[in-house]
Amino acid sequence: MSKYFYIAITSIRSKLAYLGEIGSKTIFLFVVLYIFLCLWKVTYAETNQTSLGGLSLKQMLWYLVVTESIIMSLPPIATLVDQDVRTGSLAMQLVRPLSYPLNMLANTTGERVLSFSINFAVGSIIALIFVGPLDFQIQSIAMFLLLLPLSFALDFSIYFLIGLAAFWLEDTTGLTLIYSRMTMILGGMLIPLELFPDGWQQVLRILPFSAIVYAPARTFVTGDVPLFLSLLAQQFAAILVFSFAIRVVYAIALKRVFSHGG
Amino acid sequence: MESAVSISQLVKTFVLKKREGIRWTSTDVKAVDGITLEIEKGQSVAFIGPNGAGKSTTIKMLTGILHPTSGTATVLGCLPWKERTKLARRIGVVFGQRSQLWYHLPPGDTFELLSKIYEIKKDVFKSRRDMLIERFQLSTFLDTPVRKLSLGQRMRAEVACSLLHGPEVIFLDEPTIGLDVIARQELRDLIREWNQENGVTVFLTSHDAGDIQHVAKRVVVINHGRVVLDDRVSRVRRQYLREKVLSVKYADMPEPFSLSGVKTLKESGHAFKFEVDTLVVPIEKVMTEIMRIGSVVDITIEDPPLEEVIAHIYSTPSAAVTDDEADDDIDNDESVS
Repeated sequence: MSKYFYIAITSIRSKLAYLGEIGSKTIFLFVVLYIFLCLWKVTYAETNQTSLGGLSLKQMLWYLVVTESIIMSLPPIATLVDQDVRTGSLAMQLVRPLSYPLNMLANTTGERVLSFSINFAVGSIIALIFVGPLDFQIQSIAMFLLLLPLSFALDFSIYFLIGLAAFWLEDTTGLTLIYSRMTMILGGMLIPLELFPDGWQQVLRILPFSAIVYAPARTFVTGDVPLFLSLLAQQFAAILVFSFAIRVVYAIALKRVFSHGG
Repeated sequence: MESAVSISQLVKTFVLKKREGIRWTSTDVKAVDGITLEIEKGQSVAFIGPNGAGKSTTIKMLTGILHPTSGTATVLGCLPWKERTKLARRIGVVFGQRSQLWYHLPPGDTFELLSKIYEIKKDVFKSRRDMLIERFQLSTFLDTPVRKLSLGQRMRAEVACSLLHGPEVIFLDEPTIGLDVIARQELRDLIREWNQENGVTVFLTSHDAGDIQHVAKRVVVINHGRVVLDDRVSRVRRQYLREKVLSVKYADMPEPFSLSGVKTLKESGHAFKFEVDTLVVPIEKVMTEIMRIGSVVDITIEDPPLEEVIAHIYSTPSAAVTDDEADDDIDNDESVS
């Protein structure tokens, strides 16, 4: 297992060559957070509420810091897999004593951890300036740190499957676009699940999108133990389902390697 | 002698699907059509053929990437497509057009990473890395990010990386593609040295006749998925193009010269260029005659370029030589011309 950990570390070091790109993303993060802070301020004032969906304005901004940091830290997993399939680079990886899916997981997760850390640090500074510190509890941070890697792993497994679709499809960018938008909207990136209509909430809590975005963010701001446990179960179930899907699809895909890359 | 690669009646058929209107039709295409080959440990073999001949498909089956349609092959006693990961620790692979180095990191970092991937013991890794750095002259750019290296430097690092885990067989797929003359020559020398001094079996594919000539002792030519020739490189040259070019410079104007099988290609002052068909007239007889007709100042004998030999073989698929016949000669071959 240490080899995959080392791959993740190497990926972080390689990503450090792109500090300019990471820096430019944080400017975008600042703009997004400021706009949403203004919108939520108006919403709280207009509805005359101090709490919406169980979150105060301060918690809402911190919630957005986490969700935006998760979404903006996403590496181009599906594109990388798609390119490996199309260009035949996958073959190059198969001649090493490595698992291609785990190699890709380590590689992209290393990159994502770095991007997330920078986004989260910048987002926290913005939140501290505009709404002040959150009442942190050690247990909510601990729960968040458990849910976050699982959220990354789940997101990875879905994007990896989309990338593998390159074995059958001419272009996977359409699928990537649909999935990424669904994660943003149905995963609770802008609006916590509690603010969706009741009927929707039931469905959204079963779908994997909320396990990726909503789960770590909500736990981070409220530290609700029963909610944490149900989100953890949801993440585990989703990871189990998608890992199995990867196993099956990857085994079928390997038999089609011949037609890609000469 | 123990076998490094053993291939028996290997066949790979691909199904090509084509759309005609709304209907799909499929055609079977035999990329590899019954290849049988034995490569002994420590040999250096050039595996050549025109585009689409089945070279890459064969390498992919030998490295475990592809399953054959029928037939079998073993590499170092392993069935590649069944024991891919196990075999990966014992073979090295270099694809000239694909990099295994991390683009933004120096080659030294890729060495470290590969040592973890191949789970090489620390002391073994250090000594082998240092030896590769010295032999491949990597020290000047070991700490330079790969994106800043020249293609020649990058390819030296690529080959060195593929040797880090001490492979017993190394597959090189067009390793010198895109390199300039000097870089190409350096890389050929390194691969040849590694084969001769460390006993690594070399399996090379290339379109460059120089690679075959300088690195390999045995050449296997495939076309349309079949072995059309399997022989020593030196013998192939002798057998397929018997012409030799003689450049002679005389002190004074020599006597008129006429011998069947000898053609004057060029004449300039006291210098002559002759083409000799060694099938018609032995080279010794020509040399004696040349010496007899005048006082020779300088003389050179050139072999025909290997490109011509290869082109000749590609155009005559009936020129097959049996494997057994070729194998008999290989052990005795000491010189590569």
